[in-house]
Order: sequence, then C-alpha cells, then structure tokens
Amino acid sequence: MKVTDVFRDANANLWRSKLRSILTILAIFVGSFTIILNSAINAGVNDFIDKQIENMGGEGYLEMMPTETYDQLAALMGNGGVQEYTEDKDVSNASPYIKDEQVERARALEGMKSFHALPSATADFATSDKTDKRYRINLNAIVPGINIDMSAGVAPDTSDDAPYEIALTEDMAKALGYENPADSVGQTIKIAVPSNLKCYTVTRRSECQVIVEAKIAGTQAPGILAMGGSRANIALWNRINEINFEGMPEGANHTFQAVADVEPDKIDEIKTKLEEIGLSAMSVDDEVGMIRVFFDAILIVFNIFGGIALVAASIGIINTLFMAVQERTREIGLDKALGMSNGKVFLSFSAEAIMLGFWGSVFGIAASIIAGNAANILAHETFLKDFPTFQLTVFEPLTMISIALIIMFIAFLAGTLPARRASKKNPIDALRYE
Amino acid sequence: MKNSLLQTKDLKKVYGKRDTVFEALKNVNIDIESGESVAIIGKSGSGKSTLMHLLALLDQPSKGDIYLNGQNTSKLKNRKLNRLRNKEFGFVFQSFFMNANDTVLNNVILPLKIAGIGRRERKRRAMEALKVVELDDKFKNKAKDLSGGQKQRVCIARAIVNNPKVIFADEPTGNLDSATGEKIENLLFDLNRDKGITLIIVTHDEELAAKCKRQIRIADGAVVADEKTKKGAR
Ligand SMILES: Nc1ncnc2c1ncn2[C@@H]1O[C@H](COP(=O)(O)OP(=O)(O)O)[C@@H](O)[C@H]1O
Ligand SMILES: [Mg+2]
Repeated sequence: MKVTDVFRDANANLWRSKLRSILTILAIFVGSFTIILNSAINAGVNDFIDKQIENMGGEGYLEMMPTETYDQLAALMGNGGVQEYTEDKDVSNASPYIKDEQVERARALEGMKSFHALPSATADFATSDKTDKRYRINLNAIVPGINIDMSAGVAPDTSDDAPYEIALTEDMAKALGYENPADSVGQTIKIAVPSNLKCYTVTRRSECQVIVEAKIAGTQAPGILAMGGSRANIALWNRINEINFEGMPEGANHTFQAVADVEPDKIDEIKTKLEEIGLSAMSVDDEVGMIRVFFDAILIVFNIFGGIALVAASIGIINTLFMAVQERTREIGLDKALGMSNGKVFLSFSAEAIMLGFWGSVFGIAASIIAGNAANILAHETFLKDFPTFQLTVFEPLTMISIALIIMFIAFLAGTLPARRASKKNPIDALRYE
Repeated sequence: MKNSLLQTKDLKKVYGKRDTVFEALKNVNIDIESGESVAIIGKSGSGKSTLMHLLALLDQPSKGDIYLNGQNTSKLKNRKLNRLRNKEFGFVFQSFFMNANDTVLNNVILPLKIAGIGRRERKRRAMEALKVVELDDKFKNKAKDLSGGQKQRVCIARAIVNNPKVIFADEPTGNLDSATGEKIENLLFDLNRDKGITLIIVTHDEELAAKCKRQIRIADGAVVADEKTKKGAR
C-alpha cells in the first residue's frame, strides 16, 4: 500500500466518527494554540528587547563608574549595610573619579573596541527660533561605535572635531516647535550652558550662561528601555564641559563616568577585569535582563498549561484510536486477509494519530495568528500606543512548523499503543468475529 | 503431482491449551490441482473453515506442511505470504465482509490499493471486475445499500480484481435465498471454466457441492471421502 493512500485513508477515517475526532482535535488545538501564541509573544518581546538593547548601545555597550561610587550610592540608599571606614577607601567625602591610570588599563583590555572616559557636562535649557519657551534639557553623550535608532534624520557625527550636533528625543523636538520629527532635521537649537565658577559670583543665573548653537542631526525613536535624554556628539559634549569648568584649576575637571564598546562574547570577562581595575560596569542586558526574566517566567507558566493540554490530548488520542481499533476489527481482519502487512496496519492507525495532530496544529496556528494579530492591534490602540515598532506577537514560520511537527510526533507516540494492538490482530479471529 | 497447486502433508490444527485442547484437523492429506473446482463439504463444526484458512495461508497449522506450487509455505516469510494472498488468491465469505460505509468501487479496489497500484489503473481494473458481475452501474453506491445478492457479487468482483489463480469461497451462498444463490454459484463456475481460476468452495450444501468436479468430505476434522463427480457434471 502506498504511503499517500495510507494518509489519505487515515484522514477520511477520522470523519467516520466526526464528533469523537473533532473533540480530540479540539484538545490538541488548545495545546497547540497556547504554545504557538506563547512562542509568538516570546519572539515579539525578545525582538523588542533586542531592539531596545540596540537603541541603548547594543550588546557590547558598557557604562562604567568608579566602584567607590557604587558603594557610596549603596550606602546612601541604605542597602550597602554597615561599612567600615578606611582612609584609602574614603567614600564619604569627595566624589570618586576615574583616574588616568584606570583609563589606560581599561583601554588595554582584550576585547575592548572603544573606550571613552566622559568628563561631566551639564546644560540648563534649550530653546529654538520656533518658540519663546525654554526647556530643561537632559543630556547624554553619543560615542563612536554606539548605534542609536533614529526616527528621523541620522545619528550625530561622533568624530572629535565634528560640528556641534545633537539627536533630540521626539518629545523635545515637539516642544521646541517642530510638529513633525522630520521638520527638526538640520535645524539649529540654542543650548544654555552654565559656567559654574562664575555662577557663584553673579546674582542672575543668565549672567553666567553661555549659549551654544547645535545642529539637530535627527530624532531618536522612542523606546521604553532607552535612557532618557537627548544625545550630544563628542564635540558638543566637550564644548559644554569646557564651559562648565571655565576658570577652574586643571585638576578639578574630573571624569566620573566612561562608556565602552566591547566584544559581546567577552563582556562578562571584561566586566570582571574592570572590577579589578576599580570600575563597575553595567551592560544593557544588566538593565533590561530583569524584563526578560519576568516575561520568560510568565511564558514558562503558559507553556506548562499548553503542555498539560497536550498530555490530556494525547490521552484523548489513545482513547479515540483504541475505540477505532475495536470498531474496525473486521475491517482490519479483511485488510490483513487481503495481504496488508502488520507494518502497514500499524502505519494506518499511526497515520490517523498524526492526522489528528496535524489538524489540531493547523487550527492552532490559524487561530493563534488571528488572535495574535487582534491582540497586536488592540495593544497598539491602548497600552502600546507610544511604541509603534513593538510587535507584541511575531509569528516565525520555522518556529510554527517545528511546533506543529513536534505535536504531530507526540500524537504519533500516543497512537503507537492502539496502532500496535491493531497490527497484532489475527485476521482469522477478526473474520470469525460477528 | 506435476500439476499440483495446493498439497497438504499430515496437516493438524489444534485449538486451545491443556484442558481445553481441541483437535480441529487431524492428519489431513489432500492435493488440489490447478483449474479444479473443489467442494470442501461437511457438517457445521467439522473443520471446513479451519482447513480453508490453512490452505489460504491465513493461519498456520499446528503440525504438517502446505505446499503451494510444490514449495513448502511454512518456510515463507510474512512479507511473501502477504504478497501471495494479495496477488494469487481471491476470497469470498459467507457474511460478505465488506466495508459497508464505503462505496462499491472502493470495496472492489481494496486488494489493488493494498498492492500499491496507482489510482487510475486500479479504478480501471475495478470497473472491469464490476462489469463481470454486472454491477458497474452501481459503483458509486454505498455497499450497505445493496441487496444480499448484490453484496456477494461485489465480493466476487473484489475476489477477481487482482486476477487470482485461486478463489476461496466460504459458504458463499449461505446467507442468500436459493435463486440469488444460484446466480452467485453460476458466476463462480463461469470464472472457473472461462478463466481457469481454481475454485475451492467450503459448504454444507450438498447441491452446491455436487456442482463442483470434486468433493472432499470432512467429518470431525478428518477427510472421510475424496471423490470426483462422474457424469452429468458441469
Ligand atoms: N479459534 C478457535 N478456538 C477454539 N476452537 C475453535 C476455534 N476456531 C474454530 N474452533 C473450533 O473448531 C471446530 C471447527 O471449526 P470450523 O473450521 O469453523 O468448522 P466449520 O467451518 O466446518 O463449521 C469447531 O468445533 C470450532 O468450534
Ligand atoms: Mg465454517
């Protein structure tokens, strides 16, 4: 007997006891639907988190501060425990800063692609020709090797001698009078930078502010995980620092933080080495890892539900097929009398089990795509309104096919018990059975 | 011997174990030639069906051997036995044995489907077989909607669709009235005469047995007479 005939007949046989088959398929459907939808959500969330990591600098992006700062912060927040005072580890007085010797050692680490020690830089406000209002501006630096996801324009030029450029947040661009992010590209804004020493001596803050003009290179795509703030290129950042520290002794202009781009697969090793140097490093994954863990935990729970549904469905398959074997005793006897081998009899009942799994999976895939897309649309009208790029569910054909194949294999395994019984039937007994 | 198709040597069949052992066949030695029409006749429970099942290679003897075309069948593998039954034998049973919910055509096709023959070819051959039993116009009907005589004709079509060398018929007219039964008998004997198909008919009906060229009489699992019909036979 041809295998195609075996499967065609198996499929036709399913409809001989419609209700029984439909109920069994329904049970498989519940399991496959749950698992496929879960995997789609999992893919969607991971996709989104990966994109966010990319926005924040990518997998190899590290932010560093002196280890003492960490301890200091911990002590401040009360969760560092009681710390012993030692003079060489004085964390209570002056802010710790990154020393040249630390920078040199960090730069020399294997797997370090770029390392930028950033001096501090603060600005008071930003304004533009389009508005009379002035807005507080929160600045971050953008360094070479780091990509940011731009919703309009291009990322600022990161070379040391580039013109002053900035990547605004969409909100800031809007506040500064550019209705559309695209309208802001190429425009110039004014940034008020305080000259800190002078500010001690004047009565009005405006008397110690220097206005710096910067070109808007573009706007950043919004993301839930991305650190807030507009991003200044190195040239602008250094200029702001220069103004901040004007007139102060050379030694006062310390570096308090550093960023680096490292080989992603060496990141753990590098973090340990940096710790030895006295720099505490945080990768993007350290920051967003918790979100992943949280989603993973939820999905594991749902997958367990799906798994339980499949176990129940397997019992349904076993039961359905045992009934079919019983009902078709004479038919099996006739097939065997007419020369069908035990193997083909086994295969024909296994094929029925596989077809049950097949239909359960097909309906599961179809329903989960419909439900997933509906959920996506709903989510974007409500809680995901601000994240148009976040696809809550991502259906990957390969994943769905693999899940369907696994479910069909489970169905096949469940079917082996009844199929074995069918194949062991004696044609004589079956023919005498009346 | 030279034309011997089926031959048995000291054939024994025992059912049950220990306290319940029952000897259904005791030392059966028969020799059936190609092209014969043979009746295996005896009272109910005498062991006719048991013998037929052994000859048709549907069951294994407890002792003794069956030779098909001079070859000892006890040495054959299952695969080969399945192929032999599928290609060389045709079966007709008393209680029809067909898939009642399936169409007439699909019932006739079954042996060809098992043989792995393609869809168009097997349909063509099944329609040919249905023509022989004059049921080609009913090929689309469900088998369960046919009358008893028509059902048995479908079974005959199924039995001849693979161009067998032997047809085994177990009480083929047992469930039919005499007029319908006669039609079935004629069909079988025509096949024997026109196509040279060997006919082995199990029956307790003396009249049907008399129409065969040879009668093997069984009582309590043993052959008690083996005679050829003399004159006036078909
Ligand atoms: N599977 C079996 N187990 C035990 N006894 C059986 C079995 N099959 C048949 N028999 C017995 O063997 C004897 C012959 O049966 P069978 O060949 O069917 O007789 P017939 O076809 O001549 O009526 C009967 O007494 C029957 O009860
Ligand atoms: Mg009988």
